[in-house]
Amino acid sequence: LTGDRPAVLRGAVRPAPPEIAGPGPLPPTRNLEALAATGLAIRRHAVEMVAIAGMGYLGQATSSAELFSVLYRTVLRHGIDRFVLSPGHYAIAHYAAAVEAGLLDERALATYGADGGWLESIATEKTPLVSATCGALGQGLSVGTGLALADARAGEDRRTFVFASDGEMQEGQTWEAAMFAAHHRLRRLTAIVDCNGSQVDGPIATVTTIEPLVDKWRSFGWDVHEVDGHDALAILGALEAGDASDRPSALLARTTMLHGLPSMGATTDAHFVTLGPADVRRARADTAKPALAAAAASPRGPGARR
Amino acid sequence: VTPSDQERHLGGKIHPVAGTGLLAFPWTTTTKPYGSALVELARARPDVIALGADLTRQTETDLIRDELPGQFVTVGMAEQNLMGIASGLARTGRCVFVHTFGVFATRRPFEQVAMQVAYPGLDVKIVGFMPGLSSPGGPSHQAVDDVALMRVLPNMTVVDVADAIETSQAVALLAAREGPCYLRLKRGEVPVLFDRSHRLAIPTAQWLLDGGEVAVLASGMLVATAVLAAQVLGDAGLRVSVVNVPTLKPIDAAAVLEAAARSAALVTAENHSVIGGLGSAVAEVLAEAGSGTPLRRIGIRDAYAEASSASWLFRRYGLDVDTVIATAWSAAGRTGAPPTSADVPVDTGQYAPV
Repeated sequence: LTGDRPAVLRGAVRPAPPEIAGPGPLPPTRNLEALAATGLAIRRHAVEMVAIAGMGYLGQATSSAELFSVLYRTVLRHGIDRFVLSPGHYAIAHYAAAVEAGLLDERALATYGADGGWLESIATEKTPLVSATCGALGQGLSVGTGLALADARAGEDRRTFVFASDGEMQEGQTWEAAMFAAHHRLRRLTAIVDCNGSQVDGPIATVTTIEPLVDKWRSFGWDVHEVDGHDALAILGALEAGDASDRPSALLARTTMLHGLPSMGATTDAHFVTLGPADVRRARADTAKPALAAAAASPRGPGARR
Repeated sequence: VTPSDQERHLGGKIHPVAGTGLLAFPWTTTTKPYGSALVELARARPDVIALGADLTRQTETDLIRDELPGQFVTVGMAEQNLMGIASGLARTGRCVFVHTFGVFATRRPFEQVAMQVAYPGLDVKIVGFMPGLSSPGGPSHQAVDDVALMRVLPNMTVVDVADAIETSQAVALLAAREGPCYLRLKRGEVPVLFDRSHRLAIPTAQWLLDGGEVAVLASGMLVATAVLAAQVLGDAGLRVSVVNVPTLKPIDAAAVLEAAARSAALVTAENHSVIGGLGSAVAEVLAEAGSGTPLRRIGIRDAYAEASSASWLFRRYGLDVDTVIATAWSAAGRTGAPPTSADVPVDTGQYAPV
């Protein structure tokens, strides 16, 4: 192998180019305050990234902040374990979490969505610090299955984490991969599913329901853990228990779109959020570091578009 | 077989190019040239892994399954997942050969091939069996658009070989060629058109017969058809060149333009839609170069076929020897009835193009 092609992994994930690389991975932590602070920081970064264009995938970052916090600060062994970001729209959360994990330079976040930049708003083959990604939904679990199969056959000690969204469960390919991974007992494969109940056309339950998700994954032969996706301790427990199983594991994380942004109100219609200057001010207040979070914003919701 | 033997066999009216290893008609057939070559490759290269999707014997991969089980995985009937798994394996540095019928390798998982194989430029070799109308299975099983679908993808190399010798050689050549490839293979009995001195090269087109008024550029199963047509035409006094074009992408533009410069007219012949395959590729080269050489395209003319025998379908859709004869005859400006292949004798067990 020449190693010239960035798609071929020399390590666990595609490295960050030097100009945007962080100082290096922070040591893993099990401190719940640190994990909560990371979740808050992910939201804070996400608000700033979406504020650049005044619109973007804010809801994805806020629904998945705790998932990324626990994964990047505690469970995923940077440099060893693989990470597949199936819904490329979640790149925003990935970038923010990578900064908090010491893998990406915080200054790079200002280039989110910039023409020709590294941090594209929907992940691509350029996206740093992932093993693979997809803009086209529903493909990530198959690629993660291939990675896990390769590692299993080579006897390598690596976990493969596939971050997926619940909307992707409507794609049949998800279930093709689920069937195969269970048949081959790919026990180091873990799907982390952000079940925020949202898809472009609105609440999933009103479009084409995917429930009962727990029963579906269990019946496909997976070790299933359903948790509150904003409870870091529960997420941590589920991800560790999943690795002890003799089967692939699925973490079904029940989350809320725009969680942690109380000024925006609860909505599942947040696939692509418009964030005007007033919304930005309120969102900044919502996500400020605790000592600074004095000023409460009015609870007016944002406009939403896609 | 020396060129002089060849000329004698072929009736003295066609002009084989020395060194191509083209055998004289009638041709023999063989089975599993691909499967055997894949086993040979995989023995030498532990990084090679073969994937299948419920068509193991049909894609000749029962050989690697039985001989090197550690280098074979069957995914079941799930072609989208198949391509994703291939991508994951290739991302770890493996050279992955993926096998199914051409239709299921290209139409169904097109987005997966585009996004997880072609776009990242991974070492995934997609092998699609049963090209064009060689399948009696009707439109669901007839890969009449696979070349077009794969040719449009950046990074993808597209190869359609003519015989068993080229099939064997293609395996090693594609493995040595970094990046995604689509290889189109005839299923079952595969003709042997060449002896072992033949050398397939990618992406080079090869002149098999030279010096014609008209040049037929052919790929895959239609190469044998074109050679036999040239023999019949030679007997009738029309000298025809035949150029074997195994690589549809990248197309050997220099060879196309050379054929255009040396011939009064060009004919393309492919077991595929005339849209998006060899005929399109040649037309693109000619048009961009400003060539005025007339072009006739033989192939499936924008149609879905029936579930019928290959010999019936090849005649009905004009992929047969007599259509090549009539097209070259007309392209050369000959008037009167063209000759026919009706008198060419074929014994049982020999390979005769329709």
